[in-house]
Amino acid sequence: MTNGVVLAIIGAALAALLAGIGSAKGVGLVGEAAAGVVSVDPSKFSKVLLLELLPGTQGLYGLIAAMFILIRTGVLGGNAADLTTTQGLAYLAASLPIAIVGLISGIVQGRTAAAGVGITAKKPDHNGKAIIMAAMVETYAILALLISVLMILNIAV
Amino acid sequence: MSTTKYANAVAAIKAMENQLLTRGDIDQLINASGSSEIQSLIAAKRGTGSGPGTLNEVWETISSYAPEDKELRILLYRSDFHNLKAALKALIAGRDPKEYYIRPTGLDLDTLSPLLAAKDYESLPEHIRSTAEEAYELLTRTLDGQLADSLIDTSAMKAMQADAERYGTGFMQDYARLVTAAADIKTAYRCALMKKPRNFAELAICGSTGLDKDDLIEAALSGTESLFTLLESSPYDEGGKLLAKSPALFEKWCDDVIMELAEGARMKAFGADPLAAYYIAAEAELKNLRIIRVCKESGADKETITERMRKLYV
Repeated sequence: MTNGVVLAIIGAALAALLAGIGSAKGVGLVGEAAAGVVSVDPSKFSKVLLLELLPGTQGLYGLIAAMFILIRTGVLGGNAADLTTTQGLAYLAASLPIAIVGLISGIVQGRTAAAGVGITAKKPDHNGKAIIMAAMVETYAILALLISVLMILNIAV
Repeated sequence: MSTTKYANAVAAIKAMENQLLTRGDIDQLINASGSSEIQSLIAAKRGTGSGPGTLNEVWETISSYAPEDKELRILLYRSDFHNLKAALKALIAGRDPKEYYIRPTGLDLDTLSPLLAAKDYESLPEHIRSTAEEAYELLTRTLDGQLADSLIDTSAMKAMQADAERYGTGFMQDYARLVTAAADIKTAYRCALMKKPRNFAELAICGSTGLDKDDLIEAALSGTESLFTLLESSPYDEGGKLLAKSPALFEKWCDDVIMELAEGARMKAFGADPLAAYYIAAEAELKNLRIIRVCKESGADKETITERMRKLYV
């Protein structure tokens, strides 16, 4: 296994790891807020659950980027390509947008969705507005995923 | 502590806010024919939910959700110092203080009196420790209950301001400042009316930002007109005008100003402020219900009751 492959694997690991941490923190925070509402009014469970799901997507995006790297480099099939150090660094760099944006946006989206839980608690009819506000943060995670995937797919192997 | 630690507590409090009475509910209660109709209207509003029954229940609910209550305990300082006052006086008079205690309180009421009797001040909570010692000494030396009351009340305000600075957010600091200013103005007004001597005014007036202690003492010693003139040039000019009309109107203004402050705090998504705001709102609601009941019993008309209603939170 070349240094290039090791660097590419580090990139895949970072994408899954950092974006996953962001999602875990975000979902956890909304879960805490949602539990607070449900402890007072259990009928609002389904509405707050929607908000709790939102910060979970960053982890999925990290997984997608990691899978692309592993497939493109042949690591997933057990037949890793002989990547140069430069190619490995390119995969590592390609993983960074979704890794870093996934981490930050997962946490920030968690805060926004947790605040939105307050809207759902007080005015359940306005739950949609809370979802829209939290979903706005998602845009930047999607853009980061797009850039990471485009970079991964365009690195010559 | 990270404000997101309060996410669970704030969300639960937001859900509980739906149980608070609205302006429409209060109007219905004012129009109710008697206490049984008032009870049924409140029961209908609460439904199966758990609205504020007593302030002690509200505090227990809030503290059960709050990850820490150091900052929130500032809200209880007034009752803590009242209980200290009750315990000291009962100790001097050789009576049981339990019936004079008020709740909620941050003090352990089972140990308060024994600790004071043993002069074990070090075992008392930090915020009442030095006051307890000073007040006991003053009370045993002078046997002047009013002087000891003034010392304890002033210490309560000082402790509230100091701990709001130490642990609290901007909201808690503003709350402590407003409560202190309101108490100082009321004390200065009483001093002016009763022509209290300088040494009493100096002990009873605390002083706060926007209302200098020395100016307030001088105004109180010169009479009510001087006090109203001083208030005109202070942030409390509106309150001063109302105090000139009636102390009851001033009391209502104080409660309303604190409620306006709480309204700002409840918009926050994280932190202890929405919890404190809910406590203040529940306190105001219970006060409104008490006013309605008392007014109904004394046969007051609807306009009078409406005038006395405190500003609502929801």
